[in-house]
Amino acid sequence: MSWERSYGRALHELRAADAERFGGKSAGLGELIAAGIPVPPGFAISAAAFMAFLEGAGLGERVEAVLADLDPTDATAVADASRHLAEAMRSAPVPQELRAELARRYAELDAGSDAAVAVRSSALGEDSHEATFAGQQESYLWVRGADGVADAVRDCWVSLYSPAAISYRARLGAAGAAPAAMGVTVQLMVDAEISGVMFTCNPVSGDPSVTAINASWGLGLAVVGGEVTPDYYLVSKVTGEVLRQDVCSKDVQYVAGPERRGAVRTEVPAERREASCLDPGRLAELVELARSVHRHFGYHQDIEWAIDREGTLHVVQSRPVTAAPRPAQAPAATSAIALVMSTFGAAGPPGGGS
Amino acid sequence: MATTTPVGAFPSPYSIETPPGCEGWEEMYPYHAFFAPARREKDENRFWFWNSMHFPLPMSAFDVACIDSPYQAVGAWQNRVFAVPPAMGIDYRVVNGYIYISGNPVTDPAKIAERAEFFQRRAGHYYANWDELYARWREKVQALIDEVTNLRVPEMPEYEADEVMFDDARNSTFIDVLESYQRTLRLGELMWQQHFEFLLLGYGAYATFADLCKSNLPDIPDQHIAQMVAGIDVILFRPDAELRRLARLAIETGVDGAFVEGRSPEQIESELAGSEAGRAWLEELEQVKDPWFNMATGDGLTHDYTSWLDDPRIPYASLIGHIAALRAGEQIERPTEEIQRERDRLAASYRELLDEQARGPFDELLKLSRTVFPYVEEHKFYCDYWFLTRWWNKLREFGALLARHGYLEDREDIFQLGRHEVAAALDELVLMWATGGEPLGPHHWPPIVARRKQLLERLTQWTPPPALGVTPEAVTDPMTIMLWGVTTHRVQEWARAQGAEGNELIGAAASPGTVEGRARVIKTAGELADVREGEILVCTITSPAWAPIFSKIRAAVTDIGGVMSHAAIVCREYGMPAVVGTGRATAQIKTGQTVRVDGTNGVVTIVGEDPA
Repeated sequence: MSWERSYGRALHELRAADAERFGGKSAGLGELIAAGIPVPPGFAISAAAFMAFLEGAGLGERVEAVLADLDPTDATAVADASRHLAEAMRSAPVPQELRAELARRYAELDAGSDAAVAVRSSALGEDSHEATFAGQQESYLWVRGADGVADAVRDCWVSLYSPAAISYRARLGAAGAAPAAMGVTVQLMVDAEISGVMFTCNPVSGDPSVTAINASWGLGLAVVGGEVTPDYYLVSKVTGEVLRQDVCSKDVQYVAGPERRGAVRTEVPAERREASCLDPGRLAELVELARSVHRHFGYHQDIEWAIDREGTLHVVQSRPVTAAPRPAQAPAATSAIALVMSTFGAAGPPGGGS
Repeated sequence: MATTTPVGAFPSPYSIETPPGCEGWEEMYPYHAFFAPARREKDENRFWFWNSMHFPLPMSAFDVACIDSPYQAVGAWQNRVFAVPPAMGIDYRVVNGYIYISGNPVTDPAKIAERAEFFQRRAGHYYANWDELYARWREKVQALIDEVTNLRVPEMPEYEADEVMFDDARNSTFIDVLESYQRTLRLGELMWQQHFEFLLLGYGAYATFADLCKSNLPDIPDQHIAQMVAGIDVILFRPDAELRRLARLAIETGVDGAFVEGRSPEQIESELAGSEAGRAWLEELEQVKDPWFNMATGDGLTHDYTSWLDDPRIPYASLIGHIAALRAGEQIERPTEEIQRERDRLAASYRELLDEQARGPFDELLKLSRTVFPYVEEHKFYCDYWFLTRWWNKLREFGALLARHGYLEDREDIFQLGRHEVAAALDELVLMWATGGEPLGPHHWPPIVARRKQLLERLTQWTPPPALGVTPEAVTDPMTIMLWGVTTHRVQEWARAQGAEGNELIGAAASPGTVEGRARVIKTAGELADVREGEILVCTITSPAWAPIFSKIRAAVTDIGGVMSHAAIVCREYGMPAVVGTGRATAQIKTGQTVRVDGTNGVVTIVGEDPA
């Protein structure tokens, strides 16, 4: 198989510049691996594979046609279009070349065993500074077998045309004639005991000296999907002190399904519901991780993480923080004395008047 | 600052009833100190808060001098010297013996602008010449301390000395007694004048630095701001440092066996006096006493806070604790190098996180704050501890004079009379000495003293509400915020807690960590000796002077105070959780109950009753 016709790449080979072919998520994970951040091994499928799939099935023009006439504010029309495209895509075969490559790369991931993987979309234009497509594309967890992976990849593509995704892009003015492009990320599954999200700054106040952490039991789905009120911790990056800690009642979690395939929603055992997910040692580890990730990218990050049943911490995703406010700024070139004067309600330097 | 609603969540000051058996409490206080009908319309529409930080207990009649003088002084500097644009002085009122205060705002924009010109010129001069002015300040206060120490209280002689006749410059004893008393009062007023000379500007510089930090780093804990500014080698830590040195010396010279928990200072000293090494240790102690034992057993503002010199139980309790810790192999040194390193590391780390344009003001304000902070910390040692403990003792000498002539039963009784009543008693004393007539004082004063002692005891059982009058929409007075930590947020919490029973108290998170333990509620310095190892101290306000007992306790909870307070910083240094400004901890918590102190989130929970 020649290089040009290869659709996949190991995650650790990717860098930021690869985002335009493999999508933001895969490229971001590649960057994290390069920075020494613990990321589960995996591979990425480029957007070209998606295009090849559409072309091979003769679907490219149909997608364009359906979307071109669509009024994105008409919910019924959007739902109809979504269903129509999903049916067409699900009945189209994944190209043989790509199937073979998926099978090969999947086998290499864990020495040919029937390893469980997570299959996630890595849309182009997703996770940019301007907008986060958070939650608009599906993730498929605890997927097993080469055929299962291929199906999950196709399901990711289908999710690009979910009603929500169509409306979201329409709102951003991206619903034009050209079909949105999408890469796919395939990673070894983290059998998460605890997972959550953290920001390398306080997303509410914008304070850059703290890390804000959400954590809950099981897979990250429950936190990301807002199905539980997770534990909340605000930790000083300067001293490591826990400045705020709200331990909430966490009654549901996602865990591996029967035969460890798929993810299922279960009740959290009563004795764990009110317990804090993270102890001071874990919080310190997460803060250190947040600092490394922030240092590597140079701007604030929203990080999805998971701790497996052996107690190892993994990062499964990191993307730029898009909506954090900037704290009020001190007026430039103001002297200390002038600021003190304003504390006393006497603005401006002596004699200067202002 | 006030809304137009007549009465908010807090009771009207005119609705407070006199507790049974306390009728007539007003006789102890000046006529101008009440919520009087003539001022009702204004007073009822203001926000008043209980100044439990300075006056946690019902005030005795004489101690009102330490309300009048400080509020004369703070108002004079703030309103008439510096002309702080939006704030004049602070009014006080007495309710059932407790002191409520309220600032007088300036609201007219033209007036504020007029005052701003004064303020900029005058405050600017102080900031620009701080070190030089502060050096002069120390000399002035030291001179006042020396004068009050050496002031002579004459006895009334049978016959005047020859010099009164032959030396034109000598006055008769009746003049000397009256003059000496007037001078004592005047020295107190002079001290209060000095006390406030730098205070507002010192706190203002610090508050500005804190504002800058918080506007750029909204989640920064107050204690980190304080840590960046706090002095390393400040006078307030020196007395305890000397005690630690004496503890080491006791072990090195093998006399540590005398320091047994439960022994009185006299018992320990008499054992030490029995050996040569013990006598050497006692000599070393004498060297340390001046000036370092001029610590008060509390904040010094009332007469019952004596100094370590007068009441050595606190330093001895601390010595016993230090010696036990040393024997157990514990490190008792205050880790100054580590504190210095941490202070510089914090400042550098936070600076790094700031935007470029905020770093200049950050550097300048941090420098200015560190310049003013020695005053903020040291004035307490010079004024509130050293001067005031000597001043109260000088007044005890007048008390002894009156007691010798039967006007009082005990010298301590002088504090049950107002300062003008004492002047009246002395007037009669010297008059009767001069005329040889029959004095009425011995019949007049003792019943008054007895009645007032009983009143104060009963008033102590009453729990004052944290605030009276209207709930302000916002607290804007810079002094109220800076000096008392009374912020809009705090007032809203007080208002919410009104009438709430519950077992949870909310305050400011002053020092992080969570511990659970037995509560020890302390309302007077005299009860400090009761504190046992491992207890949680619950008090109206912790005084830095209590620092030595901090080595015994596991956490501190106070009714009032901000995280800027020195006590909060001391707690942090001892690595012990603290929640300050709960409003009602001493009222709600009982000694012996099990409480959980969450100093990270500012929550205190009563989790168990006294098993005893």
